[in-house]
Amino acid sequence: MASGDGYNGENTTGFASPARDSLEGTVDLSAVLDLRSPSRYPVRVRGDALNQRGIRHGDILIADAAAPPVSGRVVVAMIHGDVVVCELVYKGQQWWLQPSRNDPAVCVSDDIEIWATVSGLVRTNV
Amino acid sequence: MGHSVWSCSYERIAMKLVYGLIDANSFYCSCERVFQPRLRQLPVVVLSNNDGCAIARTAEAKVLGIKMGDPWHLIRKRPELAGVEWFSSNYALYGDMSRRMYQVLAERVPRVEPYSIDEMFLDLTGLPGDLTERCQSLREDVRRIAKIPTCIGWGPTKTIAKLANSIAKGGPTLGGICDLTDQKIRRRYYEVLSVAEVWGIGGKRASKLERAGYRTIQDFVDAPVREVRGLLTVVGERVQSELRGISCLSFVEVSAIRKSVACTRSFGRPITVWHEMREAIANYTARASEKLRQQGLQAGSITVFLHTNPHAKNELWHGDQKTIQIKPTNDTMAMIAQAVRMLKPLWRDGYRYTKAGVMLNNIEPANERTNQLFYSRSDERSKMLMPVLDMLNARYGRNTISPLAIGITHPWATRSKLLSRQFTTKIEELMTAKAW
Repeated sequence: MASGDGYNGENTTGFASPARDSLEGTVDLSAVLDLRSPSRYPVRVRGDALNQRGIRHGDILIADAAAPPVSGRVVVAMIHGDVVVCELVYKGQQWWLQPSRNDPAVCVSDDIEIWATVSGLVRTNV
Repeated sequence: MGHSVWSCSYERIAMKLVYGLIDANSFYCSCERVFQPRLRQLPVVVLSNNDGCAIARTAEAKVLGIKMGDPWHLIRKRPELAGVEWFSSNYALYGDMSRRMYQVLAERVPRVEPYSIDEMFLDLTGLPGDLTERCQSLREDVRRIAKIPTCIGWGPTKTIAKLANSIAKGGPTLGGICDLTDQKIRRRYYEVLSVAEVWGIGGKRASKLERAGYRTIQDFVDAPVREVRGLLTVVGERVQSELRGISCLSFVEVSAIRKSVACTRSFGRPITVWHEMREAIANYTARASEKLRQQGLQAGSITVFLHTNPHAKNELWHGDQKTIQIKPTNDTMAMIAQAVRMLKPLWRDGYRYTKAGVMLNNIEPANERTNQLFYSRSDERSKMLMPVLDMLNARYGRNTISPLAIGITHPWATRSKLLSRQFTTKIEELMTAKAW
């Protein structure tokens, strides 16, 4: 909104603000996260299995459907009707989905879809 | 001799036009499937406003015998349809997915003309390389990035591209694409397809042609121009030229500035009392004004309309509308007062109204104060009030603060009981992924 609180650093009653010619807008996080790109999807995380990767329950992941799969990246995948987030690993000529450090990896077969690669994260409840 | 030299150089100068048409497969159903993978193999049907009738079906649902326009309340209890997944139409979601589809294409093709929410014309003229490969990779990119399955057809005119697209859709062996640039291939399809398959030749026009003995597309293409003009006026003549490969319809530039903002909806049940109609119109007006403000616009004309069900037998029909010019504004209060005043003489007791709406026209940027003379104190107050209203409603949810005129419980509101979430446009409704 234009002037929600009425002061944007420009209008002063006593002395002219020396910052007047240098004003910038507030930081635009949707530009930083490139949310207007057709390939970007916000996805909410449920569960704490990726805590060791710094991803927590309630986080919003920015998933990019155009980014190619790379070993070691976190991805959103569709497995048997479920939407899951896990680590993608290439090992022994084969792609694997690693749910967490302690759990066994799942082999990426034809009925599993790598939906998008996670490129960023938003957390509002730090 | 001279002639062939001329036509040879002509070929080199004039690039052969190629129009493409990309069309999503069961678009609304496909949008639902993107974010609900459990639906991937199931029959899915999306219903029209008010959960009235089927308007989109997946292949699995078509196999079960569900037809376009089948009323939900009549078919929902059929035992063979027990496994069908029904959805109300979620236009916020479909609109966002359409935007993604358009953007993917616009990044890869020189010109894209959105024809409908799920169909776009593509300018494929003069592109290097193999068109079949290019169109396959366009389909793959739309599938991977916008997550929507599509078909593409192309040829020397828009009408041929549209036909090619429907051939691609109907023929599973074609791999989702169909190239009708070659005249010999076109002829093969023209000879077997009914003229009713052609874009712009539906119902009445098709039966006129059939009565005159033109059944297949080829019959129509070979018909004398004068006779076609006699039967179908210049419209038919243009379609015929297009089918012959002479382009008459070019790209339409879509203007960035909206010409009108509307809010029109069918009610969840018929409205028979005045105060409910007043409430509904106030609601639609408030929504339309809000849309104006979101885009920094104001409107100089309001249209209000209402009507009863045009298809109901044994029921009296009534419909009416009114348009007036107003001092340009985007103030919810001023708009509601105006709309309700216009509505009053349109209303008649004793009728069962099923739909009403508000349209705002003569749109212009809101800061243009064209009529300084009548600028008043209340304009100043509205300029302060409306941003606060919008800010509160954006932060705490729609209608946190609203004029009492729009009512509170809305018993007449459109039914959409089977609505999926706004997976991409609402922070509370994002798709969730399990970290397990």
